[in-house]
Amino acid sequence: MTQVSTNEATSPLLQLRDVDTYYGAVQVHFGIRLAVNPGEIVCLLGGNASGKSTTMKVILGLVKPRRGQVTFDGHELTTIATSQIVRLGIGSVPEARRIFPRMTVRENLLMGAYHRTDQAEVLRDYEYILGLFPRLRERLHQRGGVLSGGEQQMLAFGRALMGRPKLICMDEPTMGLAPAVVDLVLEHIQQINRTGTTVFMVEQNANLALQIAHRGYVLQNGRIVLEGKASDMLASHAIQEAYLGAGITD
Amino acid sequence: MPPLLTIHEVTRHFDGVQAVDNVSLGVKAGEFVSVIGPNGAGKTTFFNLIAGTDQPTSGQISFDGQSLVGLRPDQVAALGIARTFQNGRVFANLSVLDNVLIGTHARRTSQQTINPLGELWGAIVTSRALREEEARVRHDAESIIALFGERLTPRLHHPASSLSYANRRRVELARALALHPRLLLLDEPTAGMNPTETAEILEFIRRLKDQKLTILLIEHKLSLVMELSDRVIVMDNGRKIAEDVPHVIRRDPYVIEAYLGHRRPSADSAAEMTALDRTNANVQARTAP
Amino acid sequence: MEQSLSIFFDQTVNGLVIGNIYGLIAVGLAVIFGVANLINFAHGSVYMVGAYVGWYSIMQLGLPLPVAFVVVAVICGILGILIERVGLRPLHGSARIAPLLATIGISFILDQLVQILFTPDPQRFESPIPAIRIPIGTTSIGLLDVLIAAVAITIATLLYVFLRYSKLGWALRATSQDREAAQQMGVDVNQVNRIAFALAAILGGIAGLLVGMYFQTVYPTMSAQAVLKGFAANLLGGLGSIPGALLGGLLLGLVESYGVALFSTSYRSLFAFIIVILMLLLRPNGLFNPKRQLPPEPLTGTFIPNNKRIHIPVWATVLGGVVALSLPFFFPNPYVMQVLTNAWLIGMVALSVTLVTGTAGQISLGQAGFLAIGAYTASLLTLRLQLPFELALLCAALFTAALGTLIVLPAFRLRSHYVAIATIGISEIINQIILNWRPVTNGALGLTNIPPPSLLGHEIVRPQEVYLFAFALLVGVALLQWKLINSPLGRVWRAVREDEVAAQAYGINLNYYKGLAFAVSAFIAGLSGAFMAHMYTYINYQTFTIPLSILALTMAILGGMGNILGAIVGALVLTILPELFRDLMDFRYLMYGVMLVALIRFRPQGLLGTE
Repeated sequence: MTQVSTNEATSPLLQLRDVDTYYGAVQVHFGIRLAVNPGEIVCLLGGNASGKSTTMKVILGLVKPRRGQVTFDGHELTTIATSQIVRLGIGSVPEARRIFPRMTVRENLLMGAYHRTDQAEVLRDYEYILGLFPRLRERLHQRGGVLSGGEQQMLAFGRALMGRPKLICMDEPTMGLAPAVVDLVLEHIQQINRTGTTVFMVEQNANLALQIAHRGYVLQNGRIVLEGKASDMLASHAIQEAYLGAGITD
Repeated sequence: MPPLLTIHEVTRHFDGVQAVDNVSLGVKAGEFVSVIGPNGAGKTTFFNLIAGTDQPTSGQISFDGQSLVGLRPDQVAALGIARTFQNGRVFANLSVLDNVLIGTHARRTSQQTINPLGELWGAIVTSRALREEEARVRHDAESIIALFGERLTPRLHHPASSLSYANRRRVELARALALHPRLLLLDEPTAGMNPTETAEILEFIRRLKDQKLTILLIEHKLSLVMELSDRVIVMDNGRKIAEDVPHVIRRDPYVIEAYLGHRRPSADSAAEMTALDRTNANVQARTAP
Repeated sequence: MEQSLSIFFDQTVNGLVIGNIYGLIAVGLAVIFGVANLINFAHGSVYMVGAYVGWYSIMQLGLPLPVAFVVVAVICGILGILIERVGLRPLHGSARIAPLLATIGISFILDQLVQILFTPDPQRFESPIPAIRIPIGTTSIGLLDVLIAAVAITIATLLYVFLRYSKLGWALRATSQDREAAQQMGVDVNQVNRIAFALAAILGGIAGLLVGMYFQTVYPTMSAQAVLKGFAANLLGGLGSIPGALLGGLLLGLVESYGVALFSTSYRSLFAFIIVILMLLLRPNGLFNPKRQLPPEPLTGTFIPNNKRIHIPVWATVLGGVVALSLPFFFPNPYVMQVLTNAWLIGMVALSVTLVTGTAGQISLGQAGFLAIGAYTASLLTLRLQLPFELALLCAALFTAALGTLIVLPAFRLRSHYVAIATIGISEIINQIILNWRPVTNGALGLTNIPPPSLLGHEIVRPQEVYLFAFALLVGVALLQWKLINSPLGRVWRAVREDEVAAQAYGINLNYYKGLAFAVSAFIAGLSGAFMAHMYTYINYQTFTIPLSILALTMAILGGMGNILGAIVGALVLTILPELFRDLMDFRYLMYGVMLVALIRFRPQGLLGTE
């Protein structure tokens, strides 16, 4: 395991400690430890069946780990329901976007603010997000299901931002998108981050994710096998080996 | 020699999405062909079309001169095409041995001429011929299981649900071999395996290749693909973007981009540039006139 | 000409009025199906409870109609919340067919409670609406018709406003479109489930009240067909679609109304069942939806939890058999003989369910249909053709196997719980055909004077002899089944149960092997039905109904799915228990319902474990 020291001056916003997760009798996480500091973009990389999407589900409370702690902003997440976790300030851009297909773009966006009660502020955010994603304004009254992949991704971002989260969790935000759209999506992620939202993203597309991330972790067979600064990881061969399984035979 | 498996301009739409877009491919008997590409590239759909789990919107697929289009999966299996599944689909409440015995189903001689009454009668009174056949396939199944050494043999009568993930994948592979396939479709046989287990499976598949079994493999671990394949096809967004021998594929810029994710020209940090050098060198090597 | 036009008008009005009510029932089902992916079988019982609450409020308490509406809404709403709490929430994470079975158990409980409280007899429900008819041209329309239409339209409008403009309504829609994504927006999906069940129950209850007023009567068994009619309406409009459910309800009402006018009232229920089967086969996404394939499968998965089977040693089984065999010689009490004979006969039905549902994984709620086919075939053979009993028994069982498989074959295009619903539909259609095919089946009067069982010319009438005959049949069937499930064929069946996709990929022809399982299952059930008919000497179209199918399924679950000995033990326990508590005999079905719900919740693997 390669360790690259990271700046621990600030206390992390999100922290997973020694998390073991099981599906029935099958263990998918083995002592996962990771931390996301305020203001960072952190990516979790890994191949198929490495357990990275499960990590996302554990953070959001959709799957409960058998052992270990997940803390966010001073709260323990493993004991509370997803709806409460969301209220603490975690927004989510789920895998494959998961737009509500038969609700309009407007309704999808406002669903993102479901747990908020400050109506006036919600409307301000709504206008702000439409400014951020002008494409969405053009399609306000269309059903979510008829949007293109890229538009749906914008909508998923917008919907997550509507909750005014401190942290946005993104599960494979570039999956299945055309290359030109991927660039746009990455720029949006950086923009979201610049306005003060911490980003934790799960990606299979290692090179892409590491280009915009500050730090990265690599998950393999349910274990964190590598962590470090994104730029270092991008430069090293270790990532290619760990991630793509090169070096097994050579 | 005509190819054993011929796929001609096959397309599959899902609600306007082209999961597989105009893909053609020929696989000769004894050949080892791999399909690589990022998630969502359409590889598994491509397999499903061959195996009869899914039907193409257009195009032809034929195996040993017979068209596979319109056939049910069980009919495809009866022709001698066996497959494994991406996330492993063993029969959880069946024992390891029973799982593998199901693999022998399609080639049992008693299956060729059977009628419903005959099959029920046979199951109730068990004639000598049936008993002998059962003993024969059982022996066969056990010897296939023995190929995995001590991994499965001690667990012959354990339910598959009690096995580790890697062992379940082995059971699946054994079940596929029990069909004595003429074409084996492997969908990410090492997904979720650690390096040691992966190396073991690699050796196992290599032995199958040495026995001249025709194999079509989907795999993410490139080193494994490069080592085993006679030919590699690369899929992205449902299309076949490259097809060649491994050492050429390895340098193909489209492959690098599709597979590792493309590198943005705007990326400007020094660290990134150094990382880019390696691939760029390869790209230039191929694009230079 | 004028007269036929006026009849047409009347039938249209009738159809639309009943259609409105079906629409209300269907919308309730659709709301629950949307958020919980469940066909709530208890919905019909809620509708019946609503009718009774309305009847009690108006006829017994003398409350004015608007107050009665409120009382019905409140009581049914609470009932809906209770159903969610007991039948759905605790089963989160268990087999996905479990909630469906739990709601079946709950509907047993509710139906039985109402019967105990208000007797099984129909109660007269005089409508508080004056019987004024509003003339329209040459014909007229009743005030009640107008009220029903007004209530249905008002409710539909309120529902639309709720779903479109309220925050909770949004949460409900979001949850039904993507449950996990809704959770990630901070929606408390348990709360949404609760609201959906309450809402659906209110709609169902009000529909019940309206139906009670319309037909001026309420009775406990009115629940039975409500779910299937609601489901038929849902299928017409596309499962889970709320406007579709309303439209489907109206369409079903019209079809029934015209159908009854063209044929006869006794055909009324047949139309709904035929629609269910046709829609499932031809347009599973509804009339208005072009897509061919089935919607994403709701309750998939077999009811086989991981467990260790309790091993019963062979000597214990043999000993049990010997005890049962020698009982008539040492303890020939006619009452005991009769109770145990019933246990053996229903035990055979439990065996037939455990084979098709436990071993082969196809949930069947329609075994009663097979019993009816066997019973009628054998009786007709002995009555009309004077065939000897033994031969009639065998022919009837073979015929049931052939016919049963043939009619269930189309349902194999469906999966899992759709198969379950199709089997219910098929079983009901069989009863409807028996009811209407008078020249052969003697219609509602049934077949009488069926000769008692006989063996080689010797009539079997003494309780001990009947007992031994039934026991011998049971043992024979059990051995046969034991042979089958331990053969390569049994292995194939279990593979089909575990994973259809993988099984098919290894050369297993799914329809063929499901057909074989149903053939054997129908053979066994037909045998039992044929014997029962000759033992009772009288049968009619109501001798073999859905509760019997569900009882047999409960026995199979109690013993452990797929477990042969388990099915027999389950049958013994559920036959003997009510006898032990004679005072509770009236509560028999209540007990079955409680047992089913408790089993699914606490011991899904049954007493002896699944196999």
